[in-house]
Amino acid sequence: MDNRTIEKSAIAGFLDELLETYQVFAPVEREGILGFELLRGSDEIVLNAHNTRQAPKEVFFPRSETLFTFQEGKIISTPPAEKERVVLGIRPCDARSTIVLDKVFDGDDYQDPYYVDRRQNTLLIGFACGDPLSTCFCTAVGGGPFSVDGLDLLWTDLGDRYLVEAITERGEALITDYPQFGQATAQETNRKAVTAAQATEKVSGPSVEGITEKLDGMYDDPFWDELHQKCLGCAACSYLCPTCHCFDIVDEGTVTSGRRVRNWDSCQFALFTHHASGHNPRTSGKERMRQRVMHKFSYFVENFGEIACVGCGRCVRECPVNMDIRAVIEAIGQAGDGSRISDR
Amino acid sequence: MSELEKVLRETARRLLEENQVEVIIGFEQGTLPLRTTPCFIRDPDQVDRLVWNASCGNNLAQYLHHTTGKVGIVAKGCDARAIVSEIVERQVPRENVVIMGVPCQGVIDRRAIEALTDGREVLEAYIADGKLVLRGAASEETLDLQDVLDDGCAVCQHRDPPLYDILLGEPIGGIEGAAVRPTVEQVASWNADERWAYFSTEFSRCIRCYACRQACPACYCPECFVDQTQPSWFAKSDDLSDIMAFHIVRAFHTAGRCLDCGACARACPMHIDLRTLGKMVEKDVRELYDYEAGMDLESVPPLGTFRVDDPQAFIK
Amino acid sequence: MSAEEHAQADWEPTIIAFLCNWCSYAGADLAGISRIQYPPNVRVVRVPCSGRVNPLYIIKSLQHGADGVLVSGCHPGDCHYISGNYYARRRFTLLKGLLESVGIEPGRVNFSWVSAAEGEKFSQVVTGVVNTVKALGPATRLVKRG
Repeated sequence: MDNRTIEKSAIAGFLDELLETYQVFAPVEREGILGFELLRGSDEIVLNAHNTRQAPKEVFFPRSETLFTFQEGKIISTPPAEKERVVLGIRPCDARSTIVLDKVFDGDDYQDPYYVDRRQNTLLIGFACGDPLSTCFCTAVGGGPFSVDGLDLLWTDLGDRYLVEAITERGEALITDYPQFGQATAQETNRKAVTAAQATEKVSGPSVEGITEKLDGMYDDPFWDELHQKCLGCAACSYLCPTCHCFDIVDEGTVTSGRRVRNWDSCQFALFTHHASGHNPRTSGKERMRQRVMHKFSYFVENFGEIACVGCGRCVRECPVNMDIRAVIEAIGQAGDGSRISDR
Repeated sequence: MSELEKVLRETARRLLEENQVEVIIGFEQGTLPLRTTPCFIRDPDQVDRLVWNASCGNNLAQYLHHTTGKVGIVAKGCDARAIVSEIVERQVPRENVVIMGVPCQGVIDRRAIEALTDGREVLEAYIADGKLVLRGAASEETLDLQDVLDDGCAVCQHRDPPLYDILLGEPIGGIEGAAVRPTVEQVASWNADERWAYFSTEFSRCIRCYACRQACPACYCPECFVDQTQPSWFAKSDDLSDIMAFHIVRAFHTAGRCLDCGACARACPMHIDLRTLGKMVEKDVRELYDYEAGMDLESVPPLGTFRVDDPQAFIK
Repeated sequence: MSAEEHAQADWEPTIIAFLCNWCSYAGADLAGISRIQYPPNVRVVRVPCSGRVNPLYIIKSLQHGADGVLVSGCHPGDCHYISGNYYARRRFTLLKGLLESVGIEPGRVNFSWVSAAEGEKFSQVVTGVVNTVKALGPATRLVKRG
């Protein structure tokens, strides 16, 4: 399909029409924090900002999700969503996280009906990142500020308008229904190519080449003894992360009525692997930090062929003690030469 | 390197070389502008990693719960108060800690700086002569350090550590004429509806990551009330009632123990006002029981004792 | 109950009362034996001592349908366990202040000292609490929606 454009002044009109048919998630500011929320009106969307504080994974994997309710012995299933959904303004890194999440929730062996229903019902319109942050490292982990992985449409900011590219047939089908999209010129397409090259050039990160193999031999390395010390053991990193997906299922209520709910969980919590017997195989922060790093850069690669990190940089920016995964990756690259992480 | 940093590094080296401590807990340069990060140094040749500046916002005292053996620790006023509390509550033996006290001019409020720079990324920053200079890709701005200090620091009465083994600089005293923070006064003037509206809006952003609890030196229970399952007190899901219950009970569990060090608020990824509620409890503790946490090694925490004539006007 | 039902004038508040076994519970018992009339809205939970009352009980009560809470113990100096009520007094003072600071309406959570001989006082305390909570209306803050 040929490229299109939409003028920024026409976006409100597009959203008004879109909201008649779809639920729309877009970046919205609440009390100074930017997050993906259901739009109540077209005027709520924030266009000229960097990425949201939290990843939009809640669109598919809510922080708390009622799986079913029960009443007097009867199980009442949660009905699937009715309206189709559009996520407008998702960044390429967050869009790539759906590839990781799909491996877990929509894989060969197991399909999670709650996740799959939301995924199939949702269209992703991405905003390319013309101005990546210094904390972005998407290119280091297989992505890029203009990557189209996971997207149905990619919009590139050209100043007073966006260049609109359809990536999937679904994306194409969506915009052909709306009058706000005009034909793009060759010049506009070219401008996008230049911006893309500049932005991609700007992103830098540590090399992950060979990291899986390296980590495979590092399970007992003293590297882990020092790394974890400053970690508080909170879930700021896991909860903000677009690819983290661990959860805990609990029942709330009484014996006769209540709900079964799935909540986010984090491998950084001390009780994450606490067994009913009282035994905890990951007794200290050392085992838990090792787990986090190896899951993302070793185990997930071995099991699913993907690094479970998209380089969005949220954990880097928001960790209360400035635990920087980029520094950890570099240190792993240099580990095993006899020196300790503190020597570097 | 400042004079204080010079003394800090020399002291740390001496403590390690003389085997007075097994590890030094301090701050080193972080990977982002305006960030330092906690570090654990065991080798005297590593002490040059230690820094001290207005980015040193973490409360290092909470690491004492997880370290064994003799520890040297860098402590600003509030951190030292936390160590006093830990000793009073018998969590840390006094003889295990060598406190390198630092008279603190205040730490910066990262969120305030984010708000002021309004989306422009800071790539480089430095502090000089009471000014904070921020450099972005296409801009440079200079701010008064006073304007971007953490709001607790702006009225801090305890800038000098009340307990230390070595003081790394000259004492500077508290801030003249400082009173209860404006936010506490504001809330105190509101009625119940306004208070609930404020706190429920703030806490509704909570994602239950427990960064606040983990960063707090007073929160060291092997099993937090919110993690108990038999019975389960409060759920970990998204009902506002459970979110409010977590924060209300945490404010109660730290009643008479909270130092208003601000580590919780600085750790929170959702920028929730975590301090005001605790500060209001602290005001009650001060006025009713004439007690301030973290100042006196011989003190008894207020909820661990009583007076026969304690106030009870509210009891029917 | 639905919102519409609450709007009706005949809504009755539910009060959970934590009564210490040795004084307040006995006082409540005496009120009963003496046939003193008082509102029936109170659900009593007997505890060994007011000092045993965990603030979490009070918060959980408000979460799960209590419109008001009463905690009652022995008069200071008369505690069967010598000092339980002294610790409780400090705990309740700070808890009451905290709950009011966060915006729970004053009058939802109440405390009293009622001795085993004070059947009349118990009935008066309960009447007072029920009337106060009635005027406040059903508890909505802290109520768990599930």
